[in-house]
Amino acid sequence: MAKIIAQDLEMRFGDKHLFSAAELIFSQNQVIHLQGDNGCGKTTLMKLLAGLIKPTQGQVQAIGYSLAPWWRSNSIVGKALYLHQHPYLFDGTVLYNLTYPLSFSDNDKVRLNTRTEQAIEMAQLGHLLSQSASSLSGGERQRLAIARAWIVEPKLMMLDEPTSNMDKHSQHLVLQMVADLKKQGTGMIISSHQSCMLTQICDHVWLIDNNKISSNDKVPEAPPTLAVHINPNMLNNMA
Amino acid sequence: MNEGWLALTQQALSLLFSLDPEVWSIISVSFSVSFAALAITLLPSMVLGFLLAFSRFRGRWLVTNLIQTLQSVPTVVIGLLVYLLLTRMGPLGDLKWLFTQKGMILGQMMICAPVLVAMSQAAFTSVDRRAWETSRTLGAPWYNAIWAVCRELKVPLLLAIIAAFSRILTEVGCSMMVGGNIAGVTRNIPTAIALETSKGDFAQAIALGLVLLVLALVLNFALGTLRGKAEPRSH
Repeated sequence: MAKIIAQDLEMRFGDKHLFSAAELIFSQNQVIHLQGDNGCGKTTLMKLLAGLIKPTQGQVQAIGYSLAPWWRSNSIVGKALYLHQHPYLFDGTVLYNLTYPLSFSDNDKVRLNTRTEQAIEMAQLGHLLSQSASSLSGGERQRLAIARAWIVEPKLMMLDEPTSNMDKHSQHLVLQMVADLKKQGTGMIISSHQSCMLTQICDHVWLIDNNKISSNDKVPEAPPTLAVHINPNMLNNMA
Repeated sequence: MNEGWLALTQQALSLLFSLDPEVWSIISVSFSVSFAALAITLLPSMVLGFLLAFSRFRGRWLVTNLIQTLQSVPTVVIGLLVYLLLTRMGPLGDLKWLFTQKGMILGQMMICAPVLVAMSQAAFTSVDRRAWETSRTLGAPWYNAIWAVCRELKVPLLLAIIAAFSRILTEVGCSMMVGGNIAGVTRNIPTAIALETSKGDFAQAIALGLVLLVLALVLNFALGTLRGKAEPRSH
């Protein structure tokens, strides 16, 4: 099982102590709601776990991944997929952006092509494929970014405030893809300073408060209306 | 006076379209030397620009400012430096490159490298960091991520290449001093224009000037088209 383990973690920016944690384990089959006020370090923590930045102290290691060939570094970058709050789309068409990671994926090419077609359908991007990605709205950009991640079936994924700039329709589509990834066993961290549709599918909570990160099993909330939002036919088709 | 200009322009066009061997030999020397200098310098300069933009090391500020300064050094000064390096008594005298195309290439490399480094550093500094992060986190190895960043910066990087190429193709000082303006060997467009004008043979000077003018137009229109296609990002 793929895991990212952070030990004796401490993050500072100059004199400012952002957070510290004795041990954090982020593994597959776990969906974590990362909570905390604005500016408490949610994005920084996710970037640390994605290997995009280094902690001031402590170590972050990935377990359960195959060794990279000798000419590629075995750093943790690329092990857990991180999605920015405002996703970055490359200069090119929507299709170019969707298929960008295919050449780096170890998955079977036929399967990747099938998943690309499914992702286009799930994210309702079919009519936009030949359009420039820069012309998309905020919700469409987020749908494209999550569809791109969905295609490569990451073992671990982190979503930074995914619903912050989406309308209800886009939120439903994103929820379908995220719920499907959960079903496939993808471990996820979803950061949000308040509850939303996506955080309802989380089963753990990490809270950054007073510069400390605490981890708890999620206290059950009022039953979410998840079944209403997910189109069961679509999930059946994908299965 | 106007008739004189008209006649000169007609003569110049005739020299170009009749494929005058002397004129086209000069054009060929100019382009082959400048292309070679650009080709050799391009990759190392871009890598240095990338490193200066993304790495933090001691003396980075000094290196950056030194390169900025080198951009504005007159080409005759660089010509003098290369001359002193290549002269028989100089440290590279054994190469016997003085008054050869190799010597001119070396000189032009020293002229275009600071332009390429400074402009590519500025381009890489302006890149949205998320381009690199998105590429890496989607599983791209570092070399693919660098390529993705360069692709995002194709307009400013092409601008750097065009600026560097224009600077070396049109410089006179260094080519004159290091190349020696030897007909058929080291005579290039700018040195030939200077020579023919001093001799009063304006037709050939105008013909060669037209070549530079057409080249400048083509490069700038191509760049303008490319810029027009690059759409601004909302995020």
